[in-house]
This record gives sequence, C-alpha cells and structure tokens, in this order.
Amino acid sequence: MSELQWTDAAAVDDVPADDVIAVLVGGNEVALYSVEGNVYATDNICTHGHARLCEGFLEGHEIECPLHQGKFDVRSGKPTCAPVTEAIRSYPVKIEGGRVFLSLG
Amino acid sequence: MDDTASAVFPQKIHWESHGTSRIPFMAYTEADLHRQELERFFYRNHWSYVGLEAEIPAVGDFKRTVVGERSVIMVRDAEDSISVVENVCAHRGMQFCRERHGNRKEGGFTCPYHQWNYTLAGDLQGVPFRRGVKQDGKVNGGMPADFKPAEHGLNKLKVARRGGVVFAAFDPEVESLEDFMGPEILGYFDRLFNGRKLTILGYNRQRIPGNWKLMQENIKDPYHPGLLHTWFVTFGLWRADNKSELKMDRHHRHAAMISTRGASGKADQVTQVSSFKESMQLNDPRFLDIVPEPWWGGPTAVMMTLFPSVILQQQVNSVSTRHIQPSGPGAFDFVWTHFGFEDDTEEMTQRRLRQANLFGPAGFVSADDGEVIELSQKGFEQKPFHRTLAELGGREVGDTDHMVTETLIRGMYEYWRKVMEA
Repeated sequence: MSELQWTDAAAVDDVPADDVIAVLVGGNEVALYSVEGNVYATDNICTHGHARLCEGFLEGHEIECPLHQGKFDVRSGKPTCAPVTEAIRSYPVKIEGGRVFLSLG
Repeated sequence: MDDTASAVFPQKIHWESHGTSRIPFMAYTEADLHRQELERFFYRNHWSYVGLEAEIPAVGDFKRTVVGERSVIMVRDAEDSISVVENVCAHRGMQFCRERHGNRKEGGFTCPYHQWNYTLAGDLQGVPFRRGVKQDGKVNGGMPADFKPAEHGLNKLKVARRGGVVFAAFDPEVESLEDFMGPEILGYFDRLFNGRKLTILGYNRQRIPGNWKLMQENIKDPYHPGLLHTWFVTFGLWRADNKSELKMDRHHRHAAMISTRGASGKADQVTQVSSFKESMQLNDPRFLDIVPEPWWGGPTAVMMTLFPSVILQQQVNSVSTRHIQPSGPGAFDFVWTHFGFEDDTEEMTQRRLRQANLFGPAGFVSADDGEVIELSQKGFEQKPFHRTLAELGGREVGDTDHMVTETLIRGMYEYWRKVMEA
C-alpha cells in the first residue's frame, strides 16, 4: 500500500475551538472542524442543497447545514438528520508542527 | 318563463318550481354561485379524483393536479404510500411546484422562492437561515426561537384509494369513499377497477369554455350521443334502442349509463346496424376491432359520473378517466387519462390505443362535446333570466331501463339544490 499524500491545509490555531472554518485546498473548499481538541475535515458543500457547511452550526460532532438543517457527523461524513441522505466526503487528518495536514486521496 | 321578462340580468337565481326539469341559466354563469359550489361540492363532504396509482409508481414520483380550483400534488412518499398535499408553500404562499410530473426522491419538495424544504409527505424539514447567519463571530437574524417546523408543513389532504384510483378531500370529516359512492355505483366502479394493476397509455387535455357542470350533465345525457355523435351511430357504438340502464346513487349525484351494443363482433358493425350512412366503411377497420373482455360481464359501454370531479369511461375496449378541473364559472380543463391493465397483451394495448381515437376533441366522435358545451355556455350568458329544459322522460327522478330520458340530469340538480339551498 502506498503512503498517504499529505497536504498542508491550515494552522491548528486557525480552527477555533468547537467551531468550523473553510479553507481552499487544491482548488476545493474543505471544512475544518475542531471538536474537543481534535480536528476533522469534510467537503464544505452540503450534499443536499448546495450550501456551505462552514456557515452552519457545529454541535458536538454534528454539523448542521444552515440552509435546510440537515446534519452530518464530521468524523465520518455520514448523514444524521433529514433532509440529507447522502454522505459528505471526509478526509484523514494529521497534526504536525502546529499545522493541519489532509490526505486528499 | 316569458322571454320578454323585465330583467335580463336578475339579481338572484330563480327556479320555476320545486322540481329540477328546468334549470336556470344563472346556475352556470354566476361567480358567487360558482364559489359556493367549490366550497360545498369540492372542498367539503365530497371526494375528488386526483389520479391513478400507476401514474406515480416509484417513491418520489409526483403528479401536479387539482381538487376543484386548488392546486395539489399527488406523490408517492417515503413510506411507499400516497400523499396528497396542497401546492402552497407555508412561508409566502407560493404555488411552488410547476412541473406536471416528476420525481423528488432526493431532497423532497423545495419552494424556489426561499428554499423552504418539505418531505414528500409535506412535513417542513428545512428553513434556510433558521438559526441566522454567522458574521464576524456573531449570528444575525434567523427565525424566532419558538419557531416549530412541525406547525408549518404543507396542507395535507385526506386520501382514499380503491382499485388503483386515488381520491382526495380537504375535508377531514368526509365519509368513506365507499359510502360516498354508494353500493350501486361502487359495483360499477369495481367492475372497471377490479384489482388488476393499471398501466398508463397517455393523456388528452382540453380547455372547454363552458361551466364544469355541463360535462357532468353531458355524461348523464343519453339523449345526445345518437344525435350529436353521428359517427357512433353509423358504426353501431351507441344507439337509443340499445339494451340499456340508467342508475344513480341514493343522493342522485353519481350515475352510471350502462349500454349493451346490439351487434358484437368484427364483421357485424358495418353490416347489421341500421344507421344514417349504412354503406359507409372504415378505411382502417382496426378502429372497431372490438374484442369482448371477460370483466365486462355483458355491457359494452358503462359511462360513470362521480360527482363532482370525474367521469370513468368504458366504451368497448377503450377505458379512461376524465378529470373535470373548473376554472371560474365559464371554463374548465378536461384531462383524459387513457389506461390499460397489466395483463393486457400487446395486441390489446394497441387496440385500446387505437380505440382512444374515437373520443376527445380530435376523435371520431363527431362532434366533440366540448364544442356544444361552449355554445351552451354562450347561450346562457346572453339571456341569464332563462332556463334549460330537461323534461325528456318526464319531470321526476328515478332509475330507468332505457335511454330516452334526462332523469340523471334532473337527479343531479335535485342534489345540487339540496346542497346549495341548505
């Protein structure tokens, strides 16, 4: 198995505690979440109504879309509340030297 | 009534007697009576036809249609059941659905104006910026904290299904569909919709510039087909001396005209009937390639009127529903759904499709009822103090074993007066 390719996405300090921001990585918007000191990453555009999850509301491990209140688990990208039914893509994260690295696969 | 009556435009509708053999023209032209009809016949106490289950076979499939003049959506919801919801957004009242047919399995219904989002069954599930918009670390606006999506769903209608046919009612207190039809009419309904799955063959749609009741009356009037529809006489499809029966429900609002064609079989239809043009032949005899089907149980034509919204037609091998969709007192849309049955052979499907050419505005029916309805309406509008005459077969109301009567029209207006004058 080949090694994961890691891409520098942001400084750890850029991601406010228990909140969400969006960053541009390789031309795509990625949402970065900080939950209980851990950082998670998913695509930023909701699979339902084309809204930005970084403008939504993070509650525990769930991000609520600002448009139609659909929810995803930020750890897996799985939908947890209607109207979203389709998972959102999530990315492996590693923290090194105060930076957040993503594996974009 | 005398044609020299002092008022051409009376203030109020006037019936000449307690009977219904003379129907005031104003029953067809007045906007306030029309609204009262919508209220009392379409929105209260009555079931209205909305469609066939076969039109929406898969989860998320929907069809936009109407109950009376209110736009509704018939949809196969996530539970694989059929919901009917009113096509009016809970937010700003938009008729949000514009397509006639479609599928909304992914995401449900969304109003384009502010993207309020509903489940297929009509529950509100998402309101944009319900919790406000984040800006510079603060949240602006949003709905009040006590806003409850559960209180702002789409208006859900009561739904009844039987034999693959879907009816809806705004009135939650409406009686059962079976009681609404009554046992006699239900028997003819079940004859046609006997549990076999239906297949959709196609649609006709026409706007008829006449009052919606005239279409009900047209199919309660066995006097006209042999006289107006000369083609039917020439080729033996409808004759006043056919063996026939007229039956009503106990309220006299619904009816069935049951007719049995004198001569059946391929070779007979042009040779053994006396007709206006006996020597006339079809270039393509397949249009009358009639094959009797076991479910007929005798009659070759049963025309049912379910008051107020639909006509269910069997004319030999052609079967269809015809939905009456009022649009003010002076017009209605008439939507025909031609169908078949899942166990039809390909040959039978082709036969039903060919025979569908007999009916409708471009059919062989010659002339189409829409044309005479338009001219009736014009007559009503020019002298609203006058009345029609429906006295063939007498002035009373009752079932008959012949066609030479306007009893069904009198019956419908007996019911109309009972409800409208209550």
